[in-house]
Amino acid sequence: MTPVEAGMLGQVALLAAAVAAALLVPARWRSRVGGILCTLLAAAGVVTGVIALSGGQGSLTIPAALPMDPLVLSPDRLGGLVMVVVSAVGVLASLFGIGSARVASASRTAWASMAVFLFGMQLVPAATDVVSFLLLWEIMTLGSTALLLAHHATRGTVASALVWYSAMSQLSFFFVLAGFAVLAGATGDTGFAALATLDPASWQAGLAFVLLLLGFGGKAELVPLHVWVPRVLPEAPGHVAAAMSGAMVNIGVYGALLVCVRLLPNGPAWWGVLIMVLGGVSALYGILQASVASNLKVLLAYSTTENMGLVFLGLGASVLLRRDHATGAADAALLAALLLMVSHAAFKATLFLGAGAVARSTREMNLDRLGGLGGRMPWTAGAFGAAALGAAALPVTSGFVAEWMLLQALVHGSRVGGEVVSVTASVAMPLAVAVIALTAGLALLTFVKAYGIAFLARPRSEKAKQAREVPLIMRIPLVIGAILVIGLGLLPGPLAEALASAVGPAFTPDVRTIGLAGVDARGIDVVLDPATVVAIAALVLVPVLAAILVSARRHPTRVSPLPWAGGGSRLRPRMQYTATSYAEPLVRVFDDVLRPTRDVEVTHVGESRYLVERVHVEQSVSDVIETRFYRPVLGLAQRFGILARRAQNGSIHRYLSYSFVALLVVLIVVSL
Amino acid sequence: MIPAIAVALLQLVLFVLLSPLLIGVIRQVRARLEGRAGAGVWQPWRDVRKLVAKDPVRAADSSWMLAAGPVTLLVSSLLLCVLLPLVGTLPLPLVPSDLFVIVSIMLIGVVALALVGLDAGTAFGGMGSSRHMTVAALVEPTLLLAVYALSIPAGTSTLSLIVETRLQNPAVIISPVSLLAMVALAIAIMAETSRLPIDNPSTHLELTMLHEAMVLEASGRDLAWLELGSWLKLAALLGLLGNLILPWGVLTEFTVAGVLVGLAAVTAKILLLGALLSVGEVFLAKVRLFRVPELLAGSFALALLAVTASYLVA
Amino acid sequence: MFDTVYPQLIGLCTGALLLTSALLVWRHSLLASIRLLSVQGFALAALVAVIGLEEGEAEVIIVSVLVLLVKGMALPWVLAHETRATTRTDEAPRLNPTAGLLTVALLTILSYVVASRLLSGDTSISAHAAPIGLAMVLIGFLLLVTRRQAGSQLIGFLVLDNGIATVAFLTSGGVPLFLELGISLDVLLVVVILYVFAGRMRNKFGNTDIDQLRKLHD
Repeated sequence: MTPVEAGMLGQVALLAAAVAAALLVPARWRSRVGGILCTLLAAAGVVTGVIALSGGQGSLTIPAALPMDPLVLSPDRLGGLVMVVVSAVGVLASLFGIGSARVASASRTAWASMAVFLFGMQLVPAATDVVSFLLLWEIMTLGSTALLLAHHATRGTVASALVWYSAMSQLSFFFVLAGFAVLAGATGDTGFAALATLDPASWQAGLAFVLLLLGFGGKAELVPLHVWVPRVLPEAPGHVAAAMSGAMVNIGVYGALLVCVRLLPNGPAWWGVLIMVLGGVSALYGILQASVASNLKVLLAYSTTENMGLVFLGLGASVLLRRDHATGAADAALLAALLLMVSHAAFKATLFLGAGAVARSTREMNLDRLGGLGGRMPWTAGAFGAAALGAAALPVTSGFVAEWMLLQALVHGSRVGGEVVSVTASVAMPLAVAVIALTAGLALLTFVKAYGIAFLARPRSEKAKQAREVPLIMRIPLVIGAILVIGLGLLPGPLAEALASAVGPAFTPDVRTIGLAGVDARGIDVVLDPATVVAIAALVLVPVLAAILVSARRHPTRVSPLPWAGGGSRLRPRMQYTATSYAEPLVRVFDDVLRPTRDVEVTHVGESRYLVERVHVEQSVSDVIETRFYRPVLGLAQRFGILARRAQNGSIHRYLSYSFVALLVVLIVVSL
Repeated sequence: MIPAIAVALLQLVLFVLLSPLLIGVIRQVRARLEGRAGAGVWQPWRDVRKLVAKDPVRAADSSWMLAAGPVTLLVSSLLLCVLLPLVGTLPLPLVPSDLFVIVSIMLIGVVALALVGLDAGTAFGGMGSSRHMTVAALVEPTLLLAVYALSIPAGTSTLSLIVETRLQNPAVIISPVSLLAMVALAIAIMAETSRLPIDNPSTHLELTMLHEAMVLEASGRDLAWLELGSWLKLAALLGLLGNLILPWGVLTEFTVAGVLVGLAAVTAKILLLGALLSVGEVFLAKVRLFRVPELLAGSFALALLAVTASYLVA
Repeated sequence: MFDTVYPQLIGLCTGALLLTSALLVWRHSLLASIRLLSVQGFALAALVAVIGLEEGEAEVIIVSVLVLLVKGMALPWVLAHETRATTRTDEAPRLNPTAGLLTVALLTILSYVVASRLLSGDTSISAHAAPIGLAMVLIGFLLLVTRRQAGSQLIGFLVLDNGIATVAFLTSGGVPLFLELGISLDVLLVVVILYVFAGRMRNKFGNTDIDQLRKLHD
């Protein structure tokens, strides 16, 4: 038995143990035992993934009861990479869950489905044929649905969120199923190796590509299948949201990689353009919604759409550029997509866990009522801050390295040796740079807002004032997450080498480690060594710090009870800028896109027209895609539903006559 | 490698000395043009000295950000002075003056300043911070696209190579691609450094301020770092602009005479650009905040046109 | 000597044409627009002169002088003279400037894509720059579509005309002298007539908002 096989068997065994423990252990110990077993399950996934990534072989054959070939699970390097990322987030989420799970999220259903969810997610990348892929995909989806359902008892809003989630995940499952069906129909087999023999230029490949892109895009929370995200994630507790938004979306990315790297590499140029458009629109729309959101979890949820959009943008650019023989840039773009996926998993999991910690301490997710948590929850604030730096793609985090790589790939992509590669690329690359730049700018604002409003300034409500730091078991995953975000940013060289090996042997990006663990992308001749930049910054900091120390000894800081505020001494915490007011200029700038509804109501004092007693302002930004696209579609569906109700009135005679007519039609058709 | 480090160190020292003088020149030229006597070109220096010798005061509710933010801004600006090709284009080992890296180092300073604005929990600070970040977010596309356009003739986004290409082939400088990109970059730099017409650096009316509103709560050495950091950023970016427009005098091979010429050249360029900026500002009024996006969209369109033009005209 | 700077000069002239067209979309003020139009006329004349010098044809140089006189001086003068007489010189376009500028950028890209398909065989420097003329035509149309005032619509029309001239000069080295003469005079005539009508309309109705002219046919 190879280590990979042992790892996968271990995961199966741990799944059984975790489910059994969740169902049998009494409530007092359930969270601890269940959480530890889930952590071990995820840790087994990390180990298996690392071995598979470093080239370990091995397969698990499940003789299925279905009348077809046995299911074979055997992760290749790419699958191993995704397994590592997904399970690492699973470890953090499970650890956090031990401390944070209460009442509903510590129920039997919750812990059992958490284990099932993690298991499905970890093994999807190991599937080697369509059937096992879809089976594990459904296990993952059902696990997450049941996990959300566990909260049904306590919160009413969960129900509607859950309907959206189920509808959207079944929609994307349908697309994936249809896409694979087309592929299998064209090649006559369901194994991935057999599917890969199809010519990417054929019409079946094109159709399957579109269907699979929609399906996997939906799982990766891309527009327009993202509508469940801002509804579901705010309802889920922190660790569940972290697992869904940090890990599950990567399965969508894995699907897209499977199509573009393994099954149908070297697709035509329009594939690349389509992926880029989908990614670009998602990135812009996601970050725009995130930047105006006031609920911390909604903000993070939309930011996932943004980041996944960037991943797909990189993937699309790599498909397009490979077609145009700009191989160096294409490899760099593919690498950038992988880097983005890894870094997003690290910072998004940490951010959601941080949000979970805030929710536990304050029971408040509205940024407009938070504030001043930095001093009250220093660990959470530090971890959230580091992860927010990653999400804003600032140095020296992993997010920065990923975005840098993507920009470099795009800048070097439109020309090779001074010659324009193609008209399509020369139009697509600058536009993509513009999209990424605007996205990065808005992400900066979004996360300055998220961190600054929640953790700095003064508490805007009593609940925020009473906040306390979370217990140790919840701080550990937060700190690990923060270390990952910064550490991966400081060591991009080894990381990039590992990622480059994962897309082999189909593609072989030429990257090396250089300097202090810096990355050297030789295909496009660019170098980045964050550790050296940090060293220079440290050297520059030395004289500044010396000056501060000297000055601080002579002139110590004095503390005044009130801020100066331009002379306004009667300053109350309510007069601070809130998240809503922080985003107000942006809402005005993007008025045409966001279409906010504003309601201002002024109450006057007595008869006077000049003295105002109270001003009531209400502003809400809804999801334009939901209101403009889904609502009309749903309305139409409902009208059909009403018509259908007339046909389906429950009368047995009518059903029988339907069958009779159908039989007659069939017979007539056959006789023709 | 040693010469490169020496030049980087020289740049650092020069800019720390030069940036207050630059501000002094800008203010003095403006004062003279407006018929005032002005405080003299050394006044910013005296201001910094005065601020460092005072006890900083902080509000009870503010956090460590009030002290750490200004230092972060200062360090990010100092890093700009180290990494940009100002005196010379000798590349530092492992750290090429890659424009994307430089932009993000600058953004660290932007973020630090915005967080300082939010930290004390006052209305003005929040307002300044919010507007500052909105402008920063909208400037970013212009900045990166202008970089893209400038990188086309050199085939790289490394600034020192871009400057060298322009030095060897001056025809590149007056090509439409470069001109459009330079105009776009200039507008972006005005916005990044809070100059007119985006922000009025000399205003004292809170409702119109961006930069000044954020530093209201800082005092003593914290304020000194914030001011010095912003001045350094302005000086470094003007130096970059100067070297892109007139690359002559930049040190490409290490010689002692060359270093002296490089120092003199960059000083002259910066002070000249500063004086021009000041003359320009006399004739400009601050645009309304909600007209600022229009201006930035204009600069974005110019940058996009620059990239498109690169395919049309050589 | 001239051959080495020729591409630069072509680039500079076409760049100026494109820039002025973009700025025309940006500026609302009618007087500023007229000034920009005049700059555009000068740039067009310079472009013609550069092509003429390169080909060494005296006829083309004469055309450039003609262009300078008509498009750089006469037309802007007529427009400015008429506009100063009116009170309202500000335009409130249907498209806000931000969206307008982004549209300009996209139109330029579009003309690049279209021209790269049409002119793929021609690799001369001037033909390479021809998409800028096409972009000017599109921008002229954009101005015509989005402006309300008759005066600024006229400017759109003139940009369109400049665009056609640019394409003609860049792709075929110019139209024959007499044809150019005829077109220039025609355009001048059209402008004068339109302005006379616009002036009469203003006297009659108080403004020249095109939207309100719909009522005229009733």
